[in-house]
Amino acid sequence: MLGPLPFVGHHIFLVDTAGGDSAKVGGRGLDFTMTARAPVFVVAVVDDDQGILQSLECLLESADYRVRLFVSSGALLESGCLLQIDCLISDVDMPGTDGFQLVRLVRAARPQLPIILITGYPDRLTRLPALGGSNPRLFTKPFQGHELLEAVSEALQSSR
Amino acid sequence: MLNPDAAVPLEQQFVLSNLAPGRAQKRLAAGVVIGLLVALYLITGPLSGIQLGTVNAFVAVYATAMFVTDSVTAVLLYAQFSILRSRAILVIASGYLFTAFIVVLYVLAFPGVLAPNALIGGVQTAAWLYVTWHTVFPLFVIVYALTKDEDPAKRLWHGKTSTAILWSIAWTAALAAAAGFVFARGNAELPRIMVDPTRFGPNWPYLVGAPIVTVCTVAIAVLWLRRRSVLDLWLMVVMCLYLVEVPLSYYPAPMRFSMGWYAVRVVGFVSSSLLLSVLLYEITALYAQLLGAVRGQRRERQARLLTGDAVAASMAHEMRQPLTAMITTADAGFRFLDRDAPNLDRAKEAFRRIAADGHRAGALVGSIRGNFKSDVTQRESFDLNELVQEALSLGSSELQRHRILVEAEQNRQLPAVTGNRVQLQQVLLNLIMNAVDAMAPKSEPRVLTVRSEPCEDGRVKVSVADTGPGIAPTDVENMFNPLFTTKSDGMGMGLSICRAIIEAHDSRLWFTPNTPRGAVFHFTLQATRPTPAIA
Repeated sequence: MLGPLPFVGHHIFLVDTAGGDSAKVGGRGLDFTMTARAPVFVVAVVDDDQGILQSLECLLESADYRVRLFVSSGALLESGCLLQIDCLISDVDMPGTDGFQLVRLVRAARPQLPIILITGYPDRLTRLPALGGSNPRLFTKPFQGHELLEAVSEALQSSR
Repeated sequence: MLNPDAAVPLEQQFVLSNLAPGRAQKRLAAGVVIGLLVALYLITGPLSGIQLGTVNAFVAVYATAMFVTDSVTAVLLYAQFSILRSRAILVIASGYLFTAFIVVLYVLAFPGVLAPNALIGGVQTAAWLYVTWHTVFPLFVIVYALTKDEDPAKRLWHGKTSTAILWSIAWTAALAAAAGFVFARGNAELPRIMVDPTRFGPNWPYLVGAPIVTVCTVAIAVLWLRRRSVLDLWLMVVMCLYLVEVPLSYYPAPMRFSMGWYAVRVVGFVSSSLLLSVLLYEITALYAQLLGAVRGQRRERQARLLTGDAVAASMAHEMRQPLTAMITTADAGFRFLDRDAPNLDRAKEAFRRIAADGHRAGALVGSIRGNFKSDVTQRESFDLNELVQEALSLGSSELQRHRILVEAEQNRQLPAVTGNRVQLQQVLLNLIMNAVDAMAPKSEPRVLTVRSEPCEDGRVKVSVADTGPGIAPTDVENMFNPLFTTKSDGMGMGLSICRAIIEAHDSRLWFTPNTPRGAVFHFTLQATRPTPAIA
């Protein structure tokens, strides 16, 4: 009820669960050839809520993406894997560096990286702040899983 | 002397005739009486040689002023009666109305004011009216003092107050009219007070002085024995003024338009306007108090409404997270099942997660209930020292990061306290984190002091003090309003929710300035047992 307490976000926390499933995916010949041809994209997810992180991991893995989870912006920036990801999904309202600040920081290093934002407070965002580039797509919690996946797929297509 | 709290119902303690006089009022009353005695000495002694002229118009002016002040006092007292329904107030209101009527007759009967001789009656009439006025009013006061403390059944008027007031006015007018009639008609037969229109006769001390002194003394005695309210106090002073009129009228010169006689008129006017001034002052003061109370109540209510909104908003956000997770995981589960070769393991895992998130949402609902329904079953007895240590260790990384010195002495004399341990830990942690945030931008020594000490009323007070910039006077009012924050990244919910938790524990959260700088937040908790716990 008290909301996220300030100190939680400062711990560095990194979960990397991607990879384990890629062998299972190719159960049948057709699938195997498809996955073998298509490159495996890596999607990073940043959210201070563990439940949201795990659900997005599940969703993205159901679409055969490799997923990396981070509980704060700091965790992503300090992990050193910013250059290895193909798409970023980030929460807006987080303690410490929030989603908008993260977008600016990430764009400084990787201007072309597709970014998708999610927020639990759509009414607070009457207008987006200047983020140094085109505005990322913004999803409101709760969102439709297939819509998010379509957005990820489109973003990856256009960035190629 | 009666206990004011026992005799007066709570909601009527703010009515003047029930209000106990303060120290300042008592001193002022004593000052008036002492000043009067000094004036009496000066007029009968050093100033007695001064000769004053006969100014008939003075009598008219004096009487008009007396009439106005006494009528207004009577109206105010009748208004008090209609609120309180106390017969005693009705009696004293009638007394003031009676003097207002009598003073009209007095000026009509005074020789040389409205006509060369008295307009009504003869030479003796005005003097007898003066005696009536100065003996009957004290009688009203005595009746007031004797009836005011009767048991409520007899003391209070049960009929319509307007009827009572009309009857009181009618009877008072009739009494005054009867007095006027008797003394006007009986001018020749009545014992002679006046030798001629200006000089008092040798009977004056027995016919005028003695009766007035007797009733006034009795009135003062009865009031003194039953003194309780502001009204009682000032009626005693009025009776003293009446008493002083007696020697002033006869010494140094037993005649009208002497120094003493003029002084008596002044004293009479003072006594008439005294209670009126006190009533008006008290009414204004009470009105100001009332206004302040209403404003305070309105502010409090607004803050509470906002707190309710904030709780709803934060609840909505807290619930949104597990719901989002559940929906997203369900979508993922469908996708695993929808494949040409359904991935049952992943689908099962998704279901497990949905269930876990459902439980999480359920726990949230439970904690909301616990927070705001002051769930007694979740209360336990615990050691406050431990709680403080836990909260400090939870915040230790932040405290170390900002190099904040922590002073938290363990108080072994502290009794165990009762409350919802988890909630109170959240409150403490929140206050500690606020203190950290307040001190973080400062370069001066940063000291966080957490102190807990037993209070006299069987409670334990916890204080969290910082050496930050303190609370700006402009922020004081908004401090506990939800959504108020001085932090750029804060939601502002912290303090308002802390307060909600503390209030659910039948206590309050407040703050004071810290010396030389900073702020101290305090709250109290109920000790489990009044005796200190064994350490």
